[in-house]
Amino acid sequence: MSFDHDTVTAFAKSFGLFYLVAMSIGVVIYAFWPANRKQFDRAAKSIVSDDEDRPWL
Amino acid sequence: MVAQLTALERTYAAIILVVVICVGVAMAVVGRGDLLAVHGWIVAAYGMAVMVVLLRGIDASEPWEERFREYYDDPTRVGIILSLIWGVIAMAVGVWVAALLAWPDLTFDAAWASFGRLRPVHTSGVIFGFGGNALIATSFHVLQRTTRARLPDQLSPWFVLLGYNLFCVMAATGYFMGMTQSKEYAEPEWYADLWLVVVWVVYFLIYIRTLARRREPHIYVANWYYMAFILVVAILHIVNNLAVPVSIGHAKSYALFSGVQDAMTQWWYGHNAVAFFLTAGFLGMLYYYLPKRAGRPIYSYRMSIISFWGITFMYMWAGSHHLHYTALPHWVQTLGMVFSLVLLVPSWASAGNALLTLNGAWHKVRDDAVLRFMMLAAIFYGIATFEGSFMAIRAVNSLSHYTDWTVGHVHAGALGWVAMITFGSLYALVPWMWKRPALYSAKLVEVHFWLALSGTVVYVFSMWNSGIIQGLMWRTYDQNGTLAYSFLDTLVAMHPYYIARTFGGLLFLAGAVVAFYNVWMTISRPAPIDEGAAADLPVEPPAPRAWAQAGE
Amino acid sequence: MFNFHYRLERNAMGLVLAIIVVASIGGLIEIAPLFTIDETVEDAPDMRVYTPLELAGRNIYIREGCYACHSQMIRTLRDEVERYGPYSLAVESKYDHPMLWGSKRTGPDIARLGGKYSNEWHVAHLYNPRDLVPESKMPAYRWLLRNSLEIDDLGEHLAAMRAVGVPYTDEMIENATADAYGQANPDSGQAAGVAERYGDATNVSLFDGKPETLTEMDAVVAYLQILGRLTDAARQAEQAKVE
Repeated sequence: MSFDHDTVTAFAKSFGLFYLVAMSIGVVIYAFWPANRKQFDRAAKSIVSDDEDRPWL
Repeated sequence: MVAQLTALERTYAAIILVVVICVGVAMAVVGRGDLLAVHGWIVAAYGMAVMVVLLRGIDASEPWEERFREYYDDPTRVGIILSLIWGVIAMAVGVWVAALLAWPDLTFDAAWASFGRLRPVHTSGVIFGFGGNALIATSFHVLQRTTRARLPDQLSPWFVLLGYNLFCVMAATGYFMGMTQSKEYAEPEWYADLWLVVVWVVYFLIYIRTLARRREPHIYVANWYYMAFILVVAILHIVNNLAVPVSIGHAKSYALFSGVQDAMTQWWYGHNAVAFFLTAGFLGMLYYYLPKRAGRPIYSYRMSIISFWGITFMYMWAGSHHLHYTALPHWVQTLGMVFSLVLLVPSWASAGNALLTLNGAWHKVRDDAVLRFMMLAAIFYGIATFEGSFMAIRAVNSLSHYTDWTVGHVHAGALGWVAMITFGSLYALVPWMWKRPALYSAKLVEVHFWLALSGTVVYVFSMWNSGIIQGLMWRTYDQNGTLAYSFLDTLVAMHPYYIARTFGGLLFLAGAVVAFYNVWMTISRPAPIDEGAAADLPVEPPAPRAWAQAGE
Repeated sequence: MFNFHYRLERNAMGLVLAIIVVASIGGLIEIAPLFTIDETVEDAPDMRVYTPLELAGRNIYIREGCYACHSQMIRTLRDEVERYGPYSLAVESKYDHPMLWGSKRTGPDIARLGGKYSNEWHVAHLYNPRDLVPESKMPAYRWLLRNSLEIDDLGEHLAAMRAVGVPYTDEMIENATADAYGQANPDSGQAAGVAERYGDATNVSLFDGKPETLTEMDAVVAYLQILGRLTDAARQAEQAKVE
């Protein structure tokens, strides 16, 4: 297989679509995976909690 | 400030400064007869100025080991002030260049004061000087609070902040002298670009080292955005600035790519500078300071993750919409257009997420102008991203491209989104950083808010009008099938809008000056006695050796 | 997979790599094919390189930020072709390091400016645009006539251009300084060499109207007069379409 302009272009045009779809599905599954829920909620709340403004040692 | 550095760090700082001064002198010697020499002297003078500060504090006693019980905020404080100084200067130059388009003889026959040289001073000044310093300052603050860890050392944050400002100084002074690569938003020449790479690597390492020391297992989403900002800007910067200098003694260089490849690379850079410098970084700010100020967690953490990957992935494809109907291959243009449209989804998810966070706290928005800055930023972010996707459609772009509509769009984003979220975040941050109960004047924040909003609206509306009028006039035909207007006719039609936009810019600048005054007064007033002493002292004796573990 | 994601944000380096991979692919896919050029850039056998004087003028054009207000890219739209001339081809900016397509038209497009006006018009217009066009927004570039042109190091400039792929010959590089002088002084001994090296059609004239001295004005006008004329490909393409 040679890497001429047509091959590269055809790959660019087709691969991008599959990549986009796979990537979106992966991200959505991750975001809505039930086991992650607790951790996300905790993270969201952690910055507004009113504890001391110091590093944890 | 030097007192916070350990003796070893002071030694390293002195060595680095000696190297910087030597490099500056070397540039001045090999570049004699060229403008490079001027920059050499500027580098050397900058190094010496920092050296003077260092030497004046070099005998201060070693920092107390107790420092590991505090976050390291000195660089953030200095960064905030630098950001505001750059903002006022660069916005003032912006008003000047706007006035030049209405009254072109304001150049006064001085080369340095002509439109072409002042424009990059304005654009780089606001993007890199104002925006960049605000990003560095806030990222250090957010990084430490969300990881619950102190920055890894005291020297590298200063290297990043002061090194970055040296880059900004070289950029701005270079433009006045006509040193430019002509690549929009990447104008500085090769040696400044190389220096920025060094600074950026250290910046990245600070992030990674602090994350490695984190006490909070989950990396808060704001850091994802800051990381994307740091990483992708590095990739963009290196690829787009590939060039061959005329010689080691010349400031001038020739870009590695030419023609269509150079155009694609430049707008891949240009568009993603907007995406990762002006969007990702400032979204990081939004995701921390807006919930913090509102006292409410972000509406949907999941949504913030989805939009993060959406933005990171899709922006990279969108750059070619800057080149519709040009000599760029058609399929690349189409790809850019499609992705620009899809990009609206994660963009609006972010804007909606921010506004929904405020839902239920509208009374706070009403009473607190700082929070209102942030809300307005989210609204303008939504407007500007919608407009951006719209303008990326080929048919719309054929009208809008090359006109003031683009300038209006950019300023809807830059004034409405970037500057508003920055001012909002800095207003929130300043009292925390200087341990003050509140800002000097809440009323002045209110004044600034209305100046900023009215300035933005006047500016953007005048540019929408002039852009659309000009675009339509260019393509209007009379009954005989010939073009109805000469180029000059369209230029005459622009004149009133150029005056209006200057006025809008002036309002916005006035707001920035008010902000600077307000922050300055907040800092310079003495701190309340009870808190002032507590700032540098431990509340209780430390657990033995606890600080040492934290240090490693 | 979910376990992987879970680790992802626990592991800072994993996040770094994920960001780099996700962000890089878009640029790679779009830009990479442009480098397997064949079809991206058309063939133009008559294309010539910039003379040293034109290159110096181009550098001044960049220095003054002219690209901020003038595009050099005529789009494939009817009104643009009628207003400015045949639309721009990729090949025409083949030797442009960097390209100056521009992004804003505060002034008109100048991709086909070369030959449209006389040298005298350009000098007078650059000296004070409002003398010729009262409504103009362009700055007056009077210092171009005051500043003498730096030509001693033009050989190094040509060599750097060759390093990035522009086919300058050794002879061109050696004679860069003399050629720059000769192109702006038709009566001098150096003038003949310019036509010899860059073709008989090369514009050799007293650009700023003053013999002997070489000013920045000479270089800028020489550059403005070559815009759109390095190759005839665009005009031929349009001709072919009409027939």
